[in-house]
Amino acid sequence: MPQAAALQNFVRSIRLSTHPPPPSFHSTPPFLPLPPFDQRGMSFFGFDTSLPRDRGRGPGAKGFFENSDPFAQVALADKFVDGDAVDFEDTYDGLGDQLDDDQDEFNDDTFGGGGGGGGIGEAAPVGRDFDFFGRTAGVADAIGEEQVRYSLQNPQSAPAPAQRAPPPATDPTESTSRRTGYEKYSEPGYIPDLQAKSSVWAQKVEPSPAPAPAPAPSRKIMSLEEVEALEAQMRRGQPGGRLPPQQMQQIQQMQQMMADPYQRHPQQFPTLSDGFHQLPPELQAQLEKGGMPPPPPGMPELYGGPGPAIPPGAPFLQNNLPPQNMPPQPSRHAGLPQGQRPQHMEQQLPPPSSRAPNNGLPVITNPQQLLHLTEEQRNAYLVEDAKRAKRNHKIALLSRGNGLMTPQDKNFITRIQLQQLVAAAGNVADADPEAVLAEDFYYQVYSQIRGAPRQHPHQPLGHFAQTYLLQTGNRLGGNRHRNPLQGADNHMQRMQQQVQRAVEAAKAKPKNKQLIIEGSLGKISFSNAKAPKPMLNIKRPDSSEGPRPKKVQSELSLSDRKSILTNIERVYSALMSMEDMERTMPPPPEEGDAEAIQKHMEWRQELHGLNQKLWKALKVMEPIVPNSTTPHPFIAFLSHAKGKKAIPRIFRHIDQEQRVTILTMIVVHLDSLDVVRLAQSMPGEAQPSMAVRETIDLFSLAVMPSLLQYVNEAPFNIIIGLLGLVIAQTHVQSVARTKVGLGILTMLLSRAELVKEAGQAPERDWQQWVEKFNVLFDTLEPVLADIFPGSINSGDDMYVWQFLAAVGIGASPEQQQRLVIAVKDRVMETVGYSKSLPADMASQRLGNVNLFMRAIGLDVELLG
Amino acid sequence: MADNEDTGASVSEPLDLVRLSLDEIVFVKLRGDRELKGRLHAYDSHCNLVLGDVEETIYVVEEDENEQETTRTIKKQEEMLFVRGDSVVLISPQA
Repeated sequence: MPQAAALQNFVRSIRLSTHPPPPSFHSTPPFLPLPPFDQRGMSFFGFDTSLPRDRGRGPGAKGFFENSDPFAQVALADKFVDGDAVDFEDTYDGLGDQLDDDQDEFNDDTFGGGGGGGGIGEAAPVGRDFDFFGRTAGVADAIGEEQVRYSLQNPQSAPAPAQRAPPPATDPTESTSRRTGYEKYSEPGYIPDLQAKSSVWAQKVEPSPAPAPAPAPSRKIMSLEEVEALEAQMRRGQPGGRLPPQQMQQIQQMQQMMADPYQRHPQQFPTLSDGFHQLPPELQAQLEKGGMPPPPPGMPELYGGPGPAIPPGAPFLQNNLPPQNMPPQPSRHAGLPQGQRPQHMEQQLPPPSSRAPNNGLPVITNPQQLLHLTEEQRNAYLVEDAKRAKRNHKIALLSRGNGLMTPQDKNFITRIQLQQLVAAAGNVADADPEAVLAEDFYYQVYSQIRGAPRQHPHQPLGHFAQTYLLQTGNRLGGNRHRNPLQGADNHMQRMQQQVQRAVEAAKAKPKNKQLIIEGSLGKISFSNAKAPKPMLNIKRPDSSEGPRPKKVQSELSLSDRKSILTNIERVYSALMSMEDMERTMPPPPEEGDAEAIQKHMEWRQELHGLNQKLWKALKVMEPIVPNSTTPHPFIAFLSHAKGKKAIPRIFRHIDQEQRVTILTMIVVHLDSLDVVRLAQSMPGEAQPSMAVRETIDLFSLAVMPSLLQYVNEAPFNIIIGLLGLVIAQTHVQSVARTKVGLGILTMLLSRAELVKEAGQAPERDWQQWVEKFNVLFDTLEPVLADIFPGSINSGDDMYVWQFLAAVGIGASPEQQQRLVIAVKDRVMETVGYSKSLPADMASQRLGNVNLFMRAIGLDVELLG
Repeated sequence: MADNEDTGASVSEPLDLVRLSLDEIVFVKLRGDRELKGRLHAYDSHCNLVLGDVEETIYVVEEDENEQETTRTIKKQEEMLFVRGDSVVLISPQA
């Protein structure tokens, strides 16, 4: 059969010259209707390309598909194949014979234009630019409407012929022989109309009649509509090409080179190649070069056949894989049992509700088909269909980005990632923990704060590589059931090996940072992500020696802005090195382990040194200059937000002695603290500015808790001393007008009360305290009405009531009376005001007042 | 200058001065007639900056119909801004 072999070669060459489907197809929902000539796939192999009838006419004398009897070749093919196929002559209804030349006068109407191109016998040349698609599309809508109209007019006739479906090869229509149905898909931007093919599920319930010889349809001349309808019926009966086994093998051989999605493809070529042989040679050559729109590879059945196994867009992936990974799937080629076939088709169908009227595709939608199903089947179908639609949607979503990156892009990314891994993993092996910490300091600290299990500083980094690889592997593994032969494991293993090699190579690299090639003048320095190539190599003067500015008179510059900021930075530097030291704390030494004890001692020594450094930088011990215009350096330190924020961190690293010193410092300078100084709200004046309020809030959040924590543990005599300092050193009346000032006073008073209640206060100390308290009370009494912030409706006055409560508890009955008289107005105001407030706010305000009232043995309830 | 201590926070290079302005309001002049004012959260050796509560001022020179040049300013408020160092012209502390 040399001609058949030649044909195969020819087809293969077309296949190979075919471009992959345009990317848009990868992501479009994979429903594509079967092309009309699908059932004629049988005619592919073994047909004689130069039939006697054709020999007489020269090649090129005819148009593409203008055979008078396109099925003669099919008949030949049928003879060639085994007897299990239907004998063409037995089943041929002779319709083709009736299609006389003069019966095609409507062709021009159908396909437009003319030039007499329709005549079979005519040698009217069809230009190589003949626009099949355009011509067909011009009337496609009309055809569609006709079909719908026809099926509506003949509701019964639609399913009936399907049951005696004509044999596969007897497609008597001219129209299908003229239009391949592919033209639309050749357009790059074409997205097929989504249409349900009711014929497909109708097939489910009907007995599979296809192979049986069918009674010949009536020989009367049919109208175009009838022909179309009949064609549709036959398609319904014969949705898939069925091939006898020998041809199957041929196909398989041919497909060794083809990727899976294209497997069904060759079956669709006969029609085309059929035509090609009648083309002028130069046109054929052009075709092979791809000058014509290539037959879209595998498009019609790309998703119909192997659909479930290959998500849309997979062709890209698979193109990269060796073909042996994709063995042909024979079952796809063999004529599928009729029951199965529709299932594959159905997977591409949108839910029935979305079925639109036929609008131009060569598919006949027959809504009646669904009606013939039983209720149960329909429901089952609908459920299944919904599932399918959901899955298709998911696939479409997943594959949205498919094909965006070329393999080169991916390689590039992989290289970068590998480089990162090498940089990260390579260091684990040899670098000290410090370097590892420097690599991702914030992660390390974060995980420490979060208490993540971390025995070892390098552990997370080592894990990073593994985790990364594992995740990659898992992701691929998850898809394994979809692409069983894709070798996800292999991929992961390869990746791991690659990383291992890369890491090894990095380790083997010369350790010295530069390379001097003999005879050359320059040096080549290596760089990596961690240690970039140094552009400048400037020696920094050692901190111990070298030119440094001489010691400047610190007293003069202590409080200028820049030196304050410098101090703050010193504090932070010391803090950070102390926090760093904590990380490297050696394990507590065991008894008798001299070396460990020695290590621990050294560590302590070092920490102490740092502590001293911190303490020095804080400038707490700078002499207090009375009546100085510049604030004390420590108070200046506290005037900066970052200074305030440092206090809790500082308190963690200093001892009680240092803490009390700081507290004393703050108390002594209470009225020069920015939060006190700037917060003096004059009576009747609105609240301090927004910025000041923020500072006060920051102080209350950052500094006060540290102070409070210390005060709650402080011995009583220190409390007494502090209160004495407030009275002696500060302007109590103005301090009391501020939130922070009142807060500190409250802190001291309540601590004293707690000590007294616990019975820990020696009588002598208590006497001292009462003395101081009385002084304070007398000082504050005249301004008690003014310590409230702003007017009654300004909100937050709880801290004032807290302070008053603290005063009230410690006060004598006589003092309590004076207290009540002093703040009576505010109490009554608040009670009255709270009546106009919503319930929850009112109760909050009353609760604040009650803090104080209860402290002196009263209750707002008594005020009625 | 009080950088006479051995605490490591001494000013030995220009960027050490920038460090002093950490967590302070700074004024940053950028290429392209832009200015920023905001709290300096972070910086690096490339003068990449992270600023918070930034007010950005853009100066646009426009020519009206009389070919008179007028300068228009556009002000923007940003909560947080990353400034790439290559556009930074100057950083100045705002006391």
